[in-house]
Amino acid sequence: MGTNPILLQPKHIRAVRTLRVHWFSELLQGNNYARMAPMFSFEERFGLTPALLRGILDAALSSGGDFAEVYAEYRTYESIYMEEDIIKDTAESVALGVGIRVISGEQTGYGYTNDLSPERLRLAARSAAAIAASTAATGAADLRRIGPVASPFRVEEPPSSAPLESKIALVRSAYAACQSADAAVHKVKAGFQSSLQHLLIANSEGLLAFDERPMVKLTCVAIAEKAGAREYGFSGGGGRVGLEHFNRVLTPEEVGREAAREAIHLLDARPAPAGEMPVVLSPGHAGVLIHEAVGHLLEADFIRKKTSIFWDKMGKKVGSRLVTIHDDPTIPAFRGSYAIDDEGTVSGKATLIEHGVVRGLLQDRLSARILKMNPTGHGRRQDYTDIPIPRMANTYIDPGETPREDIIRSVKKGFYADRFQGGQVEDSGKFTFSVSSGFLIEDGRLTAPVKQATLIGSNLDILGRIEMVGDDLDWSQQTGTCSKDGQDVPVMDGCPTIKISKMTVGGRE
Amino acid sequence: MTTPDGAGAGRLLELAEKLVDFGRRSGADEIEVAIGDGVEFSVDVRMGQIESLVEAGTRGIGFRVIKDHKTAFASSSDLREETVRDLIRNAIRRAEMASPDPFSGLPALSSTLVDPAPLDLFDPEIERLDPRTKIGLAVETERIALSDKRITNSYGAGFVSGDARSVLANSNGFLGEYRRTHFDLSVALQAGPTDDRVEDFWFSAETHLRDLDPPEKIARTAIARTVRQLGPRKVPTRRVPVIFEPLMTSGLLGFLFSCVSGTSVYQRSTYLAERLGTRIASDRITIVDNGLMPRRPGSSPFDAEGLPCRRTKVVSRGILESFLCDTYAARKLGSSSTGNAAGSGAGPNNFYMEAGPHSPEEIIRSCPEGLLLIRTLGHGMNPVTGDISRGAFGLWIEKSEIAYPVSEITISGNLDEVLKGIEMVGNDLEFRGAICGPTIKVAEMLVAGY
Repeated sequence: MGTNPILLQPKHIRAVRTLRVHWFSELLQGNNYARMAPMFSFEERFGLTPALLRGILDAALSSGGDFAEVYAEYRTYESIYMEEDIIKDTAESVALGVGIRVISGEQTGYGYTNDLSPERLRLAARSAAAIAASTAATGAADLRRIGPVASPFRVEEPPSSAPLESKIALVRSAYAACQSADAAVHKVKAGFQSSLQHLLIANSEGLLAFDERPMVKLTCVAIAEKAGAREYGFSGGGGRVGLEHFNRVLTPEEVGREAAREAIHLLDARPAPAGEMPVVLSPGHAGVLIHEAVGHLLEADFIRKKTSIFWDKMGKKVGSRLVTIHDDPTIPAFRGSYAIDDEGTVSGKATLIEHGVVRGLLQDRLSARILKMNPTGHGRRQDYTDIPIPRMANTYIDPGETPREDIIRSVKKGFYADRFQGGQVEDSGKFTFSVSSGFLIEDGRLTAPVKQATLIGSNLDILGRIEMVGDDLDWSQQTGTCSKDGQDVPVMDGCPTIKISKMTVGGRE
Repeated sequence: MTTPDGAGAGRLLELAEKLVDFGRRSGADEIEVAIGDGVEFSVDVRMGQIESLVEAGTRGIGFRVIKDHKTAFASSSDLREETVRDLIRNAIRRAEMASPDPFSGLPALSSTLVDPAPLDLFDPEIERLDPRTKIGLAVETERIALSDKRITNSYGAGFVSGDARSVLANSNGFLGEYRRTHFDLSVALQAGPTDDRVEDFWFSAETHLRDLDPPEKIARTAIARTVRQLGPRKVPTRRVPVIFEPLMTSGLLGFLFSCVSGTSVYQRSTYLAERLGTRIASDRITIVDNGLMPRRPGSSPFDAEGLPCRRTKVVSRGILESFLCDTYAARKLGSSSTGNAAGSGAGPNNFYMEAGPHSPEEIIRSCPEGLLLIRTLGHGMNPVTGDISRGAFGLWIEKSEIAYPVSEITISGNLDEVLKGIEMVGNDLEFRGAICGPTIKVAEMLVAGY
């Protein structure tokens, strides 16, 4: 359905860390087309002049505090939705607002507004300043715009300047391909979404940064029915790319056919087994394992608060030496990529685990300062109403040397997890991920297709039980979203074929 | 920051009417305008110190326009007149590119109007509550929790308050507005040494400040919920009865809602699509959606389309009596809206399972061996099939008594079998959220361990 999400609900602040990665397309080749649209100007459009920004920063520091920041965001969003053979509706939305943050010691004050008049902005600054209401006023440095940063965005045909008809055509193509893929497909839903986020970040240390981040997504859902059974298939793709992506990298027909294929496949699948057994994870989709079992627990806020099981494990061995894990926000065209993070820090690759040893963290400014380490460019926020926190971008495990066939051949009786819905972790290291479809492994071969099972384990146990790592690194579908503290951000996960010697599978047989 | 005051309400109603008029004059056959205006305060306290303090006000506006039975939506947090008018004009243009849909369109103006006053959703106390008091509540909650020696770390305590006004107008003559307050006090804790931590939280959420549980009660509950998990074991894979604590029943009901939503039904994405009038649960089970309960978080005088909220019996003694619909889903199903429009398909009002006769202790005593389910981890619920498979934490029951905590297990089953297999229903229903239920005992589920 379309979006009309306007009756305001109070925001619920509670720590939930979940990831929904649906399933993926093929690996995107980073094509090196330069992005170039005329830069949007917050100054011309909304009157946010350097002098006004400086004034707001000074107001934010009027009660003291070590650091102040203005985050301005203007985001346009468009969507198209098709079901029952018709274009049901289209939607467009505009998000405009400014978030003002003051840090005093380890404390954060935050105010936001979507009225950008100087009076309202100063009022928001004073709300944020309340956190530091004890010390003497400080002041902001002169603003200097940061130099050009290599962009990971790859847009030739910006969706915002393409006619609506061309985007409707993509949706229709995916829909038609899905519907005609098999007579058992009874219901199809297809959708297109694109957004363009303009942002301005200014802080009291003198940083002034701008960026504009594109995003597109094409998705398809198939419901297949046969002999009273009904199953669901999903597929999608996109990323920080333009419409050319759906011509060169992933066609709408592929998206539609893949959704149909998954639903049809599940019609013939039987319930998954239950109990402890060897588990082989398919490449790409299974990156959700790394995201949950490692990524979240090396986010520096959980480390400095000592809630993460990893807080005292820096430099220590926590898993098999086959395991090396990175997070890289600079991978071209990827959904999780950005040139600067939401605090204006230039993004870069962070190595989290090297040969089973903890080597690094995902940092935002506050955690880095408290831990006396360097920011890594992983301070992200959902939008201007949110305080930035350490987050993942594109998280992956380095490929090993074992061919996939050898890994499967090594298992006498086990479970092959093929498609993933998502996962969740808590700070103790207990984590789950849900598999939508897989296969039994019997005598070194994939045999009966099976459906729906959640797998559960403790991260230290499971990282230690990674017995084989394939040579076939692949990536999740460009549709994943990670949720933490009620904030959703786009992410990607990558992973080669992996064998875990033993893990609990929650099937129904 | 600003509070949505009386003068503000008048202005918003006027703005909504003006935009409806503008939409009609610009060529829309029908137009609906929703405006939200709210203020938010939130404080997070950890280890006795304020970690973050947020104070803000936001407004947003959303439209639906219909032209020649074709629909377009738009929304904006930029409320400047030019932006809003452009969005309406654009939406009318975009609508022309959608397909005609005979089921589209706004509902006719209802002859009944719900008076917001008796719903009592607004607590004027919010205007007198100063930041120091709110911060104090969070500090006190965490302080009591940390005074227990078994608690080894804290995620912090939080207090949230919100005050939001909702305005809705449409071209069929509907014009309505109501104001709702919200208060939430919570704390999340860890117990045990670094490599064997367990965690849990507790909270109280109400529309009225004086209904909120005191810090002492929230802290003590959070402590008890956390430390009871210390020293967990893993159990062998087997089929056993599973007792759901109230919060776990709520999770199950959230899943059931997605299966009885009219939107899922016409989309055939629920295993219950053809089951109206048939048995879908044990005869002990009655499930209701009621938007008219005073002070409850899921109550409102009208839904997102301006239809009056009401009480709908969804499951009566195990028989599926009604799906929950917005106008669109209702037209597709040949029924009428149940007042469940949520802006994007159907959404729950207060969706709950009625309480039964048994105390939770009695339910545990009825169970020679089984699992008391206290937390779940992960997704693993598929409305198309009803299949459930989730990570689980619980307390193992032996000889009709709680014996030891268990973790790193999964529970699996199918919602159809689970609902039909409910043998006992608890008397401990509490309205902690819009979706809630009491303790229930399910005859058998598959628990996977080692």
